[in-house]
Amino acid sequence: MSETSQLSTTDVIDTPVKVRRKRKRPLGFYFAATWIALIIFLAVFGWILPAPSWDTSFYDSLGVHPFHHSHILGTTLDGYDMFAGLVNGARLSVFVSLVSVTIGGAIGTFIGVTSAYFRGKIDMIVTMAFNVMLSIPNLVLSLALLSVLAYSDENHPATMSRRVGVLMLSLTIVIIPILGRIARGATLQWSSREFVLASKSMGTKNFTIIRKHILPNVAPAILAIGFLAIGSVIIVEGSLAILGIGVPGGASWGSMLANGRGNIAYSPWEVYLPAGAIALTVISCNWFGDYVRTSLDKRESKI
Amino acid sequence: MDIARLLVKRLVLMSTVVVIATFLLSLLMWMLPGDPAQLLVPNGTEIIQKVIRHETGLDRGIFGYYWHWLSHMLTGDFGKYYLNGGYREVTEVLKRCLPPSLFLILYAQIVALTLAIPLGLISAYKEGSRFDRIASTVLFTSVSVPGFALALILSLIFAVQLGWVDPIGYESPFGDPWAHFKLMILPVTSLAVGLTSSYTRLLRTDVIATLKEDYVTMAASKGISNRRVLWKHVFRPSSTTLLTSAALNMGGLIGGTIIVETIFVIPGIGYEIAYSIGSRQVVAMQTLIALVSFAYVFFNTTVDLLTNITDPRTRERRV
Repeated sequence: MSETSQLSTTDVIDTPVKVRRKRKRPLGFYFAATWIALIIFLAVFGWILPAPSWDTSFYDSLGVHPFHHSHILGTTLDGYDMFAGLVNGARLSVFVSLVSVTIGGAIGTFIGVTSAYFRGKIDMIVTMAFNVMLSIPNLVLSLALLSVLAYSDENHPATMSRRVGVLMLSLTIVIIPILGRIARGATLQWSSREFVLASKSMGTKNFTIIRKHILPNVAPAILAIGFLAIGSVIIVEGSLAILGIGVPGGASWGSMLANGRGNIAYSPWEVYLPAGAIALTVISCNWFGDYVRTSLDKRESKI
Repeated sequence: MDIARLLVKRLVLMSTVVVIATFLLSLLMWMLPGDPAQLLVPNGTEIIQKVIRHETGLDRGIFGYYWHWLSHMLTGDFGKYYLNGGYREVTEVLKRCLPPSLFLILYAQIVALTLAIPLGLISAYKEGSRFDRIASTVLFTSVSVPGFALALILSLIFAVQLGWVDPIGYESPFGDPWAHFKLMILPVTSLAVGLTSSYTRLLRTDVIATLKEDYVTMAASKGISNRRVLWKHVFRPSSTTLLTSAALNMGGLIGGTIIVETIFVIPGIGYEIAYSIGSRQVVAMQTLIALVSFAYVFFNTTVDLLTNITDPRTRERRV
């Protein structure tokens, strides 16, 4: 009897304290944050590091193992330094994915929010357009877009910057319906809330309502999916490179992977280093996105 | 009456989406710089190009071309590949490339479901336990590993370094079943890992919700064994989301196999799409992509309709 009462009192006293203490972040979050920070650091300040240039071939050291004294992560069978390649690839992958997700997300959010807010015919057309774009698998869509936009005949090969630009453009087009649909769904939920109705009845302008009441509430959901989108953009970029369309010459992670595929039996690190970099980055983005989403859910449930 | 109206509405919506998607695809082809006929037969003479231009309807403007393509599609004429001087019917190519893809998708689904069902049930039953936490973390991590990275690493380890299976190729199951299964192991694994994780997570969420129902407590209190309660009383009602998502994936996977088929050199539909895009066979490419997107929309609509008919609750929820 006394034992149970003791238990219950300690329970009552302990729980709030425990709950407050237990709100530490999961281990995966720290891991993901560290990796993303490292990749961004390499992408921005990679040129400072004392690494050989990524596009020169070292003829005296072809296919050197990782942890060799001259090349930290080894070289490819053609003599390109792996570490320099990975750093350079980080820059391109981060740049391409950030730019396309930001622009695609902004356009998608704008279209999704306005169409869901105003409903009616516009909404029908937008939903139809999203459905059309989503009915084509995103890899196939970007493949088709890329092959049309980056078309070049043998005499005038497309330049590197044009290829990267076209890659970003097609990835942006792929992102628009994905994030647009999320934004539309979230807006539908929020625009029927009482405070929006109250604001409307006071005669607030529509775009002010969207800016002040809808966007701040919709933004976290889009941010969470945005992280996932960055991951999938990196995957699509790698897939395109493997299919032979994309950034050529080992300038991105996917392209390094595509080049290294042929030498898989002689220098396997050419495959598992870029593949590992891609996998870790995608995992980190997903973990990060998941963390944002769950902390969002907590905030939601408190209201 | 109600269901008939729903059916008609869905069918109209579905065909509109397919028509618009395929029209946009032809528009995309149309925007290719240069003459499409020249792309189809780069080395053909002027006369051959003229014949092809007429045969594909390319000489009748974008709408004429699209109408020509669509009407031929509907009558079962899927167009042609134009190869060095000769041609190949896309129908023939489809007959050859559809079975490998379907086998691949089927195996991946079977493997994913057989793994996901027990995993999902157990981790929901032991929610919050160490098993559940470890399984959740592992599955969440593996769903984020890109399919091509997994495929390449698997083929590096098991085919190149250990030499247990051949790294590339495809064998028909009717000719040599043993070789067929041996070649399919790695591609199926790289497809199934992602599927397993998403299925497990879906099932786990639903089972946790079902376990809180009163009739489950009732069944348990009657002294029915836990295993029997889980299988008979909990699994059935919580499997709808899982099955819906599995059916939806059938459509999506047809396009999703491209990369796996390319890496393992399986002559399936994804491989053909990549090939037709690479060799700029615009007509064949348009047909193949249209078929994939049709399959996707078709599965989507069918599943939607079926859940609508079998479970009236979803109708209310959607409003």
